[in-house]
Formats: sequence, C-alpha cells, structure tokens
Amino acid sequence: MSEIRIIIDGKECIGNQGDTILQIAEKNGVYIPTLCNDESVAHYGACGVCLVEGEGLPKLMRSCSTVVSDGWVLHTDSERVLKARKVALELLMSDHDGDCKGPCSLTCPAGTDCMAYVKEISKGNYHEAVRIIKDKFPLPASIGCVCPHPCEKECRRQYVEAPVSIAYLKRFAGMRDLEKDTWTPEIAPDTGKKVAIIGGGPAGLTAAYHLRVKGHAVTIYDAMDKMGGMLRYGIPEYRLPKEILDAEVKLIEDLGVVMKNGVRIGEDMTFEEIRSSADATILAIGAWESAKIGCAGEDAEGVIGAIEFLRRNITGDPYDIGDNVAVVGGGNAAMDACRSAIRLGAKNVHIIYRRTRDEMPADDEEIEESMEEGVAYDFLTNPVQIVSENGHVKEIKLQVMELGAPDASGRRSPIPIDGQFVVLPVDTVISAIGQRINAKGLDVELNQKGVIVVEEDTFRTNLRDVFGVGDAVHNKTGIAIEAIGDAVRASEVVDSFLKGELKPFKAPFVSIRKDMEKVKAELADREKVMRIQVPKRPAEERKHDFKDIVIQLTDEEVQNEAKRCLECGCHDYGECNLIKCANCQEICPDRLRGEYHPGFVETKLVTIERNQKKCIMCSLCVRTCDEVAQQGILGLVGRGFTTVIKPEFNDPATIAVCKDCHKCADICPTGALKIIG
Amino acid sequence: MCDCKDEKGKALDAVLDEYGRDKGSLIGILQKTQDIYGYLPADVIYSVAAQTGTTPAKVMGVATFYTQFRLEPVGKYLIMLCKGTACHVNGSDRIEAAITNELGIQNGQTTEDGLFTLKNVACLGCCSLSPVMMINEETFGSLTPDKAVGILNDLRNRKEEQA
Amino acid sequence: MRVIVGEGSCGIAAGAGKVYSALEEILNGGASFELGITGCIGMCFLEPIVDIYDGEDLAARLVHVSAEDAERIAEAAQSGSFAGIRDLVIAEDDASFLSQQTRIALRNCGIIDPTDIESYKARGGYQALEKVLKTMTPEEVIEVIKVSGLAGRGGAGFPTWFKWNAARDSKGEEKFLICNADEGDPGAFMDRAVIESDPHNLIEGMLIGAYAIGASEAIVYVRAEYPLAIIRLENAIKQATEAGIIGDNIMGSGFSCKFRYMAGAGAFVCGEETALIESLEGKRGMPRLKPPFPAAAGYQMKPSNINNVETFANVAWIINNGGEAFAAMGTEGSKGTKVFALTGKVRSGGLVEIPMGATLRHVIFDIGGGIRNDKKIKAVQMGGPSGGCIPESLLNTVIDYKALSATGAIMGSGGMVVMDETTCMVGMARFFLDFTSKESCGKCVHCRIGTRRMLEILTRIVEGNGQEGDIELLEELCNAIKDGALCGLGQTAPNPVLTTIKYFRDEYEAHIIRKQCPAKECVNLLRYHINPEKCKGCTMCAKKCPVQAISGEVKNPHEINQNLCIKCGQCITLCKFDAITAE
Repeated sequence: MSEIRIIIDGKECIGNQGDTILQIAEKNGVYIPTLCNDESVAHYGACGVCLVEGEGLPKLMRSCSTVVSDGWVLHTDSERVLKARKVALELLMSDHDGDCKGPCSLTCPAGTDCMAYVKEISKGNYHEAVRIIKDKFPLPASIGCVCPHPCEKECRRQYVEAPVSIAYLKRFAGMRDLEKDTWTPEIAPDTGKKVAIIGGGPAGLTAAYHLRVKGHAVTIYDAMDKMGGMLRYGIPEYRLPKEILDAEVKLIEDLGVVMKNGVRIGEDMTFEEIRSSADATILAIGAWESAKIGCAGEDAEGVIGAIEFLRRNITGDPYDIGDNVAVVGGGNAAMDACRSAIRLGAKNVHIIYRRTRDEMPADDEEIEESMEEGVAYDFLTNPVQIVSENGHVKEIKLQVMELGAPDASGRRSPIPIDGQFVVLPVDTVISAIGQRINAKGLDVELNQKGVIVVEEDTFRTNLRDVFGVGDAVHNKTGIAIEAIGDAVRASEVVDSFLKGELKPFKAPFVSIRKDMEKVKAELADREKVMRIQVPKRPAEERKHDFKDIVIQLTDEEVQNEAKRCLECGCHDYGECNLIKCANCQEICPDRLRGEYHPGFVETKLVTIERNQKKCIMCSLCVRTCDEVAQQGILGLVGRGFTTVIKPEFNDPATIAVCKDCHKCADICPTGALKIIG
Repeated sequence: MCDCKDEKGKALDAVLDEYGRDKGSLIGILQKTQDIYGYLPADVIYSVAAQTGTTPAKVMGVATFYTQFRLEPVGKYLIMLCKGTACHVNGSDRIEAAITNELGIQNGQTTEDGLFTLKNVACLGCCSLSPVMMINEETFGSLTPDKAVGILNDLRNRKEEQA
Repeated sequence: MRVIVGEGSCGIAAGAGKVYSALEEILNGGASFELGITGCIGMCFLEPIVDIYDGEDLAARLVHVSAEDAERIAEAAQSGSFAGIRDLVIAEDDASFLSQQTRIALRNCGIIDPTDIESYKARGGYQALEKVLKTMTPEEVIEVIKVSGLAGRGGAGFPTWFKWNAARDSKGEEKFLICNADEGDPGAFMDRAVIESDPHNLIEGMLIGAYAIGASEAIVYVRAEYPLAIIRLENAIKQATEAGIIGDNIMGSGFSCKFRYMAGAGAFVCGEETALIESLEGKRGMPRLKPPFPAAAGYQMKPSNINNVETFANVAWIINNGGEAFAAMGTEGSKGTKVFALTGKVRSGGLVEIPMGATLRHVIFDIGGGIRNDKKIKAVQMGGPSGGCIPESLLNTVIDYKALSATGAIMGSGGMVVMDETTCMVGMARFFLDFTSKESCGKCVHCRIGTRRMLEILTRIVEGNGQEGDIELLEELCNAIKDGALCGLGQTAPNPVLTTIKYFRDEYEAHIIRKQCPAKECVNLLRYHINPEKCKGCTMCAKKCPVQAISGEVKNPHEINQNLCIKCGQCITLCKFDAITAE
C-alpha cells in the first residue's frame, strides 16, 4: 500500500491509499466528530456531523466515507464546516426528546448527580453513592442534614405522588460511609502549586478538597476555632450533629489539606502575607454579620443578630434570652433562631414576618416543626419600634400589614394598614432578616453593598491570582449548596489558572425535555408509592434539648425510597457520543425547536429497552443487527421525519430470534437503547 | 378457514413464483400482493418475508417507505387527490376542504361506511387539468369544490343503485 | 377518412374515452370511417382532441369535443364536409401553440398510435437502431452523442456521452442501462406523455444506449402513479420482443439485450439515481453515498447507466439526423430542444418543445398565450421542488442550463408553473417544503429534520405567527442544508425558499411584520367582508356557507361573523354582485 500525505487543519497527516478522511485523521490524532459511523459496519453518511472542507473542492465532504487523495488540504473547522455542523447538531438536538440529566441534578446548584447516587443507594452501595456525591463536594452527610434540597422541588416523582427524599438519602449514605470503609479519593501527584483559602466553610472546604485532589498544596485559614463555617457556627446541633461535620472535615484534612484556625486577617496575618504565600488565593469568607432591622430603638440591650445568637449557643456561651422572644424574619436563619430559643427555655417565641406563610422563604418542614415545638407566628406584621426600659428591650411595636397587588415578579408586596399596630412584650429581639459581609482586611474590590466583586465565569477578583466564592461574592445570602456550587466551578477555573491557562467555567450543553405536559402524561399511570416520612423525635421531647431530631431509618426503608426514583436522566450521559458532539461547538437548538418525531419506550427485545424518543436515526443498531449480528431484527419503519426504528413489528417470535447479543445497545451513540436485564 | 382465503393464498403463491421468491423483487411482489388483498395484512408480510428469505423488519421497512402500500384496508373508492404544484396553484386546498367536509374524513382516513378513502398524492401528471383527482384509476380534472362533491355523490348513488 | 382520438391521460380525464366509445358505437352501427387513437399532442388546454385525417394529411383538428359531438364528427368524416363541425375546429390562435414548436423528443406524440409498433415504424421507427447495430461501433455511437451535445434532461444537465463513456469503460461482465421514468416533480409530465404517446421511441433510444455501453439488460423504472403509461410500455415491450427488437441477437446483429420495466411505488426520492437503484433492488429508496458512482457500481453493484426518458427520446432522432443537426439548435452550452410542461395560471397549458435559447417570456406569452383572466404574471416556477421561482423581471432569461442556474432556479426536468398576482410566494415555498419534507427519505439529518424545521417556520409565517429573524433563520438553514444533505433531493430542497426570499423578500416581510398576505391567499391573514352597498341580499352566500357564518334578511345586506368564518372562499365565488372581498 502506498503512503499518502494530506494536511488537516494545518497538520500533516500520513495514511495509506484507500483511507477515508476519518481513518487518516484518527491515525494522526485529529478529532473529527461523527455519530453514524463505525468501522464494524458499512459507511452510511446520515449524520452530517463529520463534514470537512477541502481546499479547491467545491462540496463539503463526509469524512466517514470520502477516500482521500494525496495532497489534499482539509479543514475541519472552516466557517462553512462549522455552520453546516452547527445546524446538523442543532437539528439533532431539537428532535432529541430526552433529558441528559434529571431535573434534580440540573437544579442542584452544585450539579450533584442525584439520580446516580440515589440509584446506588437503592442497591445499598452507599460508598459508591458517596463517591458520586464527592465528585462535587466533600460533605455529603452534613449537607444531607441541612440542605433545603432544591432538587426535590423539581423531582418529577411529584407528578406521580411526591418527590423522592433525596436529601435524606444523601444524609443516610453519607453517615453509613462514615461508619466504616469510608471512601476516599485518589490524590493526583503533587503539582508544586500552592493554594491559600481564606474561610473554612462549605465553600472553602469544597474548594480545598477539589484542588487538593488535583494535586495542589492547599492551606485553609479560618478565624474560628474549628473548620465548618456557618455549618458549624450557624446551624444548631439538633439539625446537624457536629460529630458528623467533624468527621467529614477530618477526611478533608487527611487528604493533606493544611487547616489553620484562629487566624484573623489583619490581626494574626495580613492578606498580603497569605496571598504571597500561594500561587492562588480563594476568598470564601461568607457573610457573618446580621443585617439591622432598621427600626427605632434597635440599639437597645436585648436586641441581637441571629448569627451572633446562634454562634454563642454553639460555642457554649448562650445568650440570656428571658421568657419572651421575637424573631424578626422568615428565612431559615429565623427558623434556627426561633427553634434554638425554644430549646433555651423561652416561654413565648414569636416569628415576626411582614408577609404570609406562603411567601416565607424558609423550608416548609422547618416551619411545620417549629410550630409543633410551640413557635407562634405573627404574619403580616413589621417592627416599627423597639421600646426599652432601663436600656433593655421591653416591647416591640408592630405595624399590621396587608398584601398589595403583585409586583413585576409576581410577588405580592406587603403594605401597611394605616393606624393598625400591635404591641408584643419581649425580653429579646433576634434579627434574622439578612446577612452582611465583613471583608475587613481584604484588599480587593468591593461593591456598594460590601460584596467582593468577581468576574462571573472565572470567579476572579480584581487581583489576578485572587478568586472569590460563596456568600462573600453575592448580593443575596444563599444556602450552603449554592456556595458549594461556586466552589466546584471555581476550583476548575483555579486549577486551569495554576496550570498556566485560565479557562472560564462553561456549563456543558445538555439536552432537556421541553414538553412538560407530555412528561406528565407519560407518568399518568405510574403506580403510586408513598414518599417515606423521615421520623422525627416527638416535639415535646426534642424541644428541650439540642440533640439530633431525626430518627434513623432502616436500610430497607431507605433503599425502597431510593427505588422510587424515576431515573429521568439518561443512563448513557457520560458515554453519549451525541452530547459529546453537541459540546464540540457552540449550539443553540432552541431556535429550531419544533415537533418531535413520534416515538415511545418499549422493551420488545428481550433485555433491551428502546426509547425511540432519543433515537437519532443513525441506523447503527439496524446495520449492526444486519451486518455484524446477521439477525435483521431491526428495521426502519416509515419515511422521512416520522421514520422510527423498530424490531420485527408485533412479532412474538422476536424473543426467540433476538440472541441478546446487545450489539445494538453497545453501538448506539446515544441513550436510545438501554440494557435492562 | 374459508375458501376465499385459500384462493388469495394461491394467488400469493403464484405471485411469489412469478418473481422467483427473489427479495430483489420485493416491491413488485408487494404490489401484486396488495392487488390480491387490497392492502398488506401483517401475516402476509410475514409470509412474504419467510418466502423471500428476508426478515419481516425489512419487508415492513419497504412497505412503509412507499406511499403506494397500505397496511390497512381501504374504502371501495380510493380518492387520490393531487397535491402537485399546478393543482396547488389552482386551488387543490379548497377541493380537499370540500371533500373532507363532505365525507367527514381527513387525508389517510376511510369513511365509516367503508366507501371512500382519501389520500393526498404527489403530482398525478395531469397538470393542465388541475385541480385533479383520481378515483380508482379514473381521473377527474378541472375540479371545483362543487364538482368534486358532485362526483362523490354520483359514486354514492351508484352504490345505492347496485344495492 | 380516419378519426383519431387523443387518448393520453389528460385527454381521457377530459372525456376522450367517452368520445371514443360514442364514435365506436356509431362505427359498429355500420358507419364507414376509420377510428383510431393516438397519444397526447400536448395541447392539454384543448382536450379532448379529435383529429380527422384524409390519408396522411390532417384534415381537421377538433377541440373540446364531447360525446354528444360524435354523431356530427362521424357524419363529417364520412361525407368529407366539415360544415357541421366548424365550431369544433381549433382556432388559429390555439393552433399556433403547436406551430411555434420544434418537436424532436415529442415528434410522434399525438400523431402515431402508441399501441401499435407498425404505426411507429411507419414514421421511421427503429431505423436508427438498425443503423447503429449494423453500421456503427459503440464508440461511434458515443461520438455522435458527444457531437450532438445532448445533456441529461432529468435536471442536472450532465453530458450524456460522458456517462455512457464512463459506463462503457467500467470493468464488468454484466452492465445495466436504466431509464429513470420516476417523474416525480409536481408540475412535470413530459415523461408520462412520451411513454404514453410514443413508447417505442423510448425503447429504441434505450437499446441504442445499451449497445453503446455494452449493457445486457435495460430497465425502465416508471412511476406507479402513471397506470396508462405502464400499460402502453408493457404493450410496447411485448410488441418489440415479438418483432425481435428486444432479446437475443437483435436484428441479427449479434447484440442481445433483455428489457423490462419496474413500477415504482410512490417515493419522489427514487428519482435520485442511487435511491432508484436501491428501489430496483427491492429496498427502501434511500440514497447511497457517492462515490462509488453508478457507472462503476450501480444496480447489483454492477456498472450501470441511468438517463431520463426525455434524454432517451432524443437519441434515435440524433442517430438518424446526425449529432451536428441536434447541435445546430440551442445555445453555446445547451444544445437541442427541451420539453416543458407549461401549467399554472397560463392560458394555454400543455407540452412545449422548443430549441434551447428561447426566452421564458416567449414560452409563456407567445406559445402559452399569457396569463389567464388577464391577470398579471408574478413568477414562473421551474425545476419543481429542486428549482426556484423566477420573477417577472427575469423573464427574458434564455433557456440554457447556466442562465437558468444563475437565477437560483434550475432547468430541471421541465416543469414550468406560471403564477399570477394571486399566488402567495411564501405559500409557494411552504408548498414545496411540505412536499420535500414528506418525500425526504429520512436518512440524513440535514434533510430529515432540516426540511421539517423549514416547513414549520414557513407554516408559522403563513399562519401569521412569523417572528422577526425568521427570514435570516431560514437562510441559515438553507445554506447549511445545501452543504450538508446527502443527496440531490436534500441539497436542492432549499432552492424554492432561497429564490422566493431573494426575489420576494417583501412578501415575507409583509407576512411577518404586518401580518398581511399581499396575494390574499393565506387564509389566516384574511378577513372576508361583505360590502353593504353592493350586497343585494340574495341569500346565496348564507345558504352555501358551510359553517353558517353569514346571516342577514332577504333583500338586505348580509354580514359575516368573523369568529365563525373558516375563510373557505366559497361565498366569494358564489356572489354574483362582487359584494364580498377578502382583505
């Protein structure tokens, strides 16, 4: 065979006479995306993704089937090729009625692969579940305890009866993993690069974990005595037993992360000292100051911010609250404050909230449990004055509100009712209406609210080697998993920065089903299986102590709950060639959104589930069944847009014919074929 | 089993013999099979597949690719309404509206009494007479909505007379 | 005298069969004239047509004949006096439709009896084949075709000799010559006319081609929608076989060639040569990757040559008259004549064969008699779903492969659909995309999903839901599909959209921005209105309205309930007072 030489994208490629463009590219390490080609079957030329342009050649060529001539100069990324390929991919994705990931995972701010770990939990593989979670963050049990689980709000199981208890499952798996044979990640060889992280809360710990795993030397500096940040000093023990957090922090430390506690910036060390000690610095300082209520008299003794109140409880220096406590605010911090107040022995604890329960940002379950524990709710009230006696609060005057017309965002704003007030006798007023950032000593650019300014997709501050994550970089205080999400993305960016080329974070393109009505209709006749109720200690008992309120479920109960998962995401994500190709250039299939080709899910082949909705008609399965397996069981039915691939139609004998060789499922470039048995 | 089925079976055998049971002649075999049965019943597709040494999936692939083949029985009168360019320009959409309105069926459907099936087809090649329809190989040209409905009524009456 | 009834599909649809039956009845009753049939003369707008011949001379051509006229015609044919049928005789203006043409491919159409081989032979039929077989080498045949400049009449215009030569040079014991008679372009029917009216001409041309490339079998792939053409072709094959023209040792020359036809089963894509081959092999008609080209590996992966009907219909004439005679007609790049199927809003529609180089205006106005009902011409569509719309301003374009391509349309197989001011050009583009998306085989992504998405966008535009940016989106899709589709069907599917955007962008904008259809054709954008000044209250419209949307007292102006109106347009057609308008 004689040798031929061609040039692809400026690179000289050597091959043999008779090679296709694709073959010669592969031999020379040039990637050309293709979806319908496989060397085991004859060329087909359906997908149009492998198009390339040749200099002096009029038409674009399919690299899968075009035999090269010596001396060709080819381009896989010319404007014309990119345009044709872009449209091919957009067309394919516009007709691909499948979800790459479940809505749980897409909703999770950290992008945790909920479906995958829930599946492992359903099989009792807790360590594997933890491995999947730790692909995103290192605190599964802790976060499982505290997370308000946005994932569950999107869980499609709610269209059957109720969402899967994803957060509890995570807590359970995390705790089981901690008991013995705890999973630990492999650490990449040392890179010689150093990272300093200021702040050891969920974001700081997560960033430390990822960067350490990637082989960098990481040191966390934290002002408090122990690591954990708000997880430790903001969340009461009854919600997150600190031994769980301790264990998870220790695992991170065991990876070689250096943890320096009790370091206050500007007092114990300067920012510059820390910054100059490392190749990159990450600011993860959180938001540790309570916002002021903004009413007259709030400087009086007996008025305290929720953050300080909670921290003092946790550090063993409880605040003297008296019998009557008012907690101003409706978020989760307000919940922690009021329920802690009950536990400290207050007789009357009131939540002061200017809207109604429907608008409360706090978790429903928390509100419910606080009510069981005796917290009173004064909805549609707003403090206007705190009245003191001898410098100590005595009562709080509340303006009565009503809900006005919905604003632009659809939320109904509270407006005062003229002249209507109530007065509440109080010994303590806890302000839980928001948190502020204290960036003292950090010489970086802040915005008017004192928030650290970072670039959106790189998390970089105005200093080239300093990055910021978590509450410290957002105008609005978030939940732990949001801060963790920042850290997940930022650690990738920082890693790229340390390796010499900063790459902004870019969310991968994923396929998302758009027609929710169709999704709901498909779930209509699912058998209902009730969501498991996580048992809690009785209110009368739990309200007197700070011990964990949750009663552990059995393995069987947990696994059954996990089995409720509908597995909305795709089993093939990760190996899917379609989504790999769809991410090889910028595409926007939404502009071509239209009808989907007809199709449904069926299992006519014995151990293979065929989801026609995900099929891209590359016909690889048909050709494999014909040419490799020599069975001819699969065929194209219909014509044009409505073509589907079917096994021998309504044929009971298919079961006898199909040898279960799985060649069709193995070759499928996407998740349309799934081996189920 | 009734005799008629046997007769059709024999006719099918004759067709298969004529084409030497060659899968390369599948289209011709299916055309003649359809002439025998009026459509392509599932069991016949199986039998054709077995006899020509191919698989039902492949026969089904061919049978569903070409518009001529039908997997369901059709009405006594198959109305093939031309949707070619000339017919389009000369108002075939209105003819279709008149027919669907008159018969209460859409393209591809058969009337409940089993008398009419409506099928839109690509050009019938009688463009100068557009709009055109063909009913059981008889071509009707220069249609207006009224004329089309009149033709359907004539066919209906013809049936009643026979009854 | 001989009375000849024109029995092409069009003629029969117009009532020629009934005319023939009536004449036959009279003949059986003892009248003395000869009765016969012929194929399609191509003056479809005058069907049914009856010719009266005195010997070999055409004595009278009668048009728009009905069965009731049979007595008078029989009378005239027997007496030789045409006074009683003067009203049926073709008008001079109409006769010029034919007299302005130059007929080569159609030379026997409407003249000979297509069911009788002798009738073909009487006009010199099979002499070219005899000449070829007895006096010429295959190379000489190819040389004559090369000199003639004959190019593929199916649309692409590829030089015929080149394909023949490639097939001849291709190594292989067994070779095939295939005729593509899967005339799928909506609006084109010249191939049907040739097969129905002059099937032996096709057979002769194909046998000459088979000899030239060394094929041992010739196959016609003919559309299933042409039942009459199939019957006549089948009959002609039988006659030619009996006459020793098909089969072993043809005319004692030692050349043998089998000949058969296969009926298609309804798939436009089978007009694409590799899809046609798949179909011939009994498979789904899905195009193959090229290369290999059919000349190297076609039917049964053996060397095959495919030409269309009209191409073959020229071959015998070229052999008889010489390549130079053919090349003397036409333009620099396009030789000979071309047949067009002239239809749409033109006054005189039918088959037109003229030398290349004539202008479109000449065909439409001089031969076709201009636009019906004195309306204004807007555009002419050429090349069917693969072609485009040429606006009135470019009607002086000459018929030439290159010149037509430059407009964005193509020569195509010869469909020429004339559109007037009442034809919506966006609707036209939508019509073609509806066609191509239904006819897409579904193999490649660009065509399968791309044509569907284009159709969806065009549909939303004609329904009044067009969005800003839709035109640009269509253009982007068009260009990508041209580049990315696997076969000719997909690669050319964007042409109707691109040409209408190019020449009628304002109509697109009117639909999208102002939600108006300038041609008043898109029903969703129309409102029907009764002018109370003109309405006489005859109640006709109210009675006929299929959805009872019209109400009013007798002799008082009526009104249309816009919520009920389905815009079927029946009321407009019915109103004798022009009181109803669409806006």
